[in-house]
Amino acid sequence: MADTPDLLPHEQPAPPRTDLWIAAVFFVFGAAAAWLAFLMPTYADQKGQIYTAPGLVPGFYGIVILLLSIWLAVRAVRQGALRPRGEATTAGQPAGTSDLRLALAAGLGLVFVVGLIGRVPFWLAAAMFVAMFTILFEWRAGEPWAPRARRIGEAVLLGLVTGAAVTLVFEKVFYVRLP
Amino acid sequence: MFDSLGQLGGAFLGFMTPHTLFNVIWATFLGIVIGALPGLTATMGVALLTTLTFTMPHNEAIMVLICIYVGAIYGGSRSAILLNIPGTPASAASTLDGYPLARQGLAGRAMGISTSGSWLGTLFGILCLALLTPVLSELALTFQSFEFFWISVFGVVVAGTLAGGDPLKGYIAGFLGLWIATIGQEPYYNYQRYAFGYTDLAGGIGLLPALVGAYGVAEVLQAMRGPVVKAVSSKLDSVVPRIEDVLKYWRTIFRSGAIGVWIGILPGLGEDAAAWSSYAAARRASKEKEKFGKGSIEGLMAAETGEAASVPGAIIPVLTLALPGSAPAAVLMAAMMIHGLNPGPNLMVESPQFFYQIIAMLVIADMSKLLFGFVLIRPLIKVLLVPRERLMPVVFVLCVVGSFAITSRVFDIYVMLVFGLIGFVMRELKFNMAPLILGLVLGDLLEKNLTRGLVLSDGSLLPFFTRPVCAVLSAMTILSVLWSIPAVNRSVRAAFTRRRP
Repeated sequence: MADTPDLLPHEQPAPPRTDLWIAAVFFVFGAAAAWLAFLMPTYADQKGQIYTAPGLVPGFYGIVILLLSIWLAVRAVRQGALRPRGEATTAGQPAGTSDLRLALAAGLGLVFVVGLIGRVPFWLAAAMFVAMFTILFEWRAGEPWAPRARRIGEAVLLGLVTGAAVTLVFEKVFYVRLP
Repeated sequence: MFDSLGQLGGAFLGFMTPHTLFNVIWATFLGIVIGALPGLTATMGVALLTTLTFTMPHNEAIMVLICIYVGAIYGGSRSAILLNIPGTPASAASTLDGYPLARQGLAGRAMGISTSGSWLGTLFGILCLALLTPVLSELALTFQSFEFFWISVFGVVVAGTLAGGDPLKGYIAGFLGLWIATIGQEPYYNYQRYAFGYTDLAGGIGLLPALVGAYGVAEVLQAMRGPVVKAVSSKLDSVVPRIEDVLKYWRTIFRSGAIGVWIGILPGLGEDAAAWSSYAAARRASKEKEKFGKGSIEGLMAAETGEAASVPGAIIPVLTLALPGSAPAAVLMAAMMIHGLNPGPNLMVESPQFFYQIIAMLVIADMSKLLFGFVLIRPLIKVLLVPRERLMPVVFVLCVVGSFAITSRVFDIYVMLVFGLIGFVMRELKFNMAPLILGLVLGDLLEKNLTRGLVLSDGSLLPFFTRPVCAVLSAMTILSVLWSIPAVNRSVRAAFTRRRP
């Protein structure tokens, strides 16, 4: 075993080409933040001091982000970000991960927040979201109808229990308003 | 002295009501469950419960949050031992020896070691908190805007340098957090910065919806994208901690406790850094180095003691400098602010009884954690087996409720979603989230103290560098940045290596 423990997932370095793209995004972001801060009023006409000008601090942060992005870009290039494809992109997707599952989870979350909340009572929105989430993620192609029906029944029950429990506990016990 | 003991006794007695003890029991258990479930972290648990308990009196609410925090950090070891998956990042070091012990049929003993190490670590941390907080508060009372500016900058920079991963990305995340904190009305002219005419944006980005998004929604997305984890089938032997394990490794316990508290005090580093550092130090000093990574009791004890000691350690700078030592401590600090408490040097002056209450809360939470170390092990293992397809939608619903709860703005739910996406993408791109959170928390403090300092000095930067504490803090900040530059780091190391005989 090495002297230093294994790196955590967030400590594994990203490929240089990815870092170059990140640097480009933050360069644009930092420049935009600094430019918008520069356009902010200084209130000098109201005898305001320059040190309290609204754009001073966010403008400073924008410039720092811009400079750090240049540092990141230079480092990425020195590490081979501009070499032909294949050499600079070494990190692959970890085994067992699925972008389809990710997109489905994100999409369902968006439907819940944008499509359901505010249109139906919260308990019903929560029940529909939980049931739909569970049904879709537990869906197995070619599964016989009996176990599938049982799974769907369990998912609907879980949704209803969640909707009811969240509503009762938070509204009646914690006195929290629900969306 | 007797006055302090009297106040501490009063704080304990004040919590000895059936209602409070009931809250302690459920909150600690919930914390352990949150910590044990891979994908749910202490920060997320504290953030969610902050929003859900804000109608409670402040003592009860903070007590619940401390129980969640202490419980979650401890609970992470359950899945580390049984699944080889750290329930929270803080428990990653515990997998190295906890899981091999479970594979050897010693899962119960491993959990006993985890319980005793964690319990003693938190107690050690509480002792340090009780001794150090009054001294640091006294010192901090002499600070002015110049010092507080550097404390904030130092916090963000050190979190970027040491929180793990790429320091350069840590700095970017930290300054991004600081920039986000400037969105909305500024304090001098009420000018709406980066609002683009939207009233909701002019109100600023709520810290808690952002935290719930970055730690809750991002973790739901990550859990759903990641591979399925399966529990190891292990015979469960006695979970009762053994006295001989504690006596044999008392040096490791003290060393890890001290490391844990120190790392806890350093801004933004948190429990995972404390566990790794304690583990590495124990390995270096051990007479049984070869057992590390193969089921070393000493290794597991070190990791658990270190991470548990860093919990009170991370609260020390919250109480004295309004500077959180870890991400969960940042949320705890935000919760204190929401409840009208004023964390920082004035806390000991304005509400000294709250300091004693914090000590009492930590001790009670630690005792409750010990109790759960003995009981409810089997039900907890069953909770670990709940499939993520059924758990994560429920967590998402709680995130939505949690982000809406404080101001009842639907806009906060959108903030949560956006920060969930930002948190997920940034983690995928190997950014550490701790500096971003610290930047968000410290943004207001930094801006106010920078502008106040500039007004006081009439624009001169000299006091920012010449006042004694400022000189030390600015030098440490600059050294911290230099240290993260590989070329500088290599040169310094080479220079020291050459000087050795």
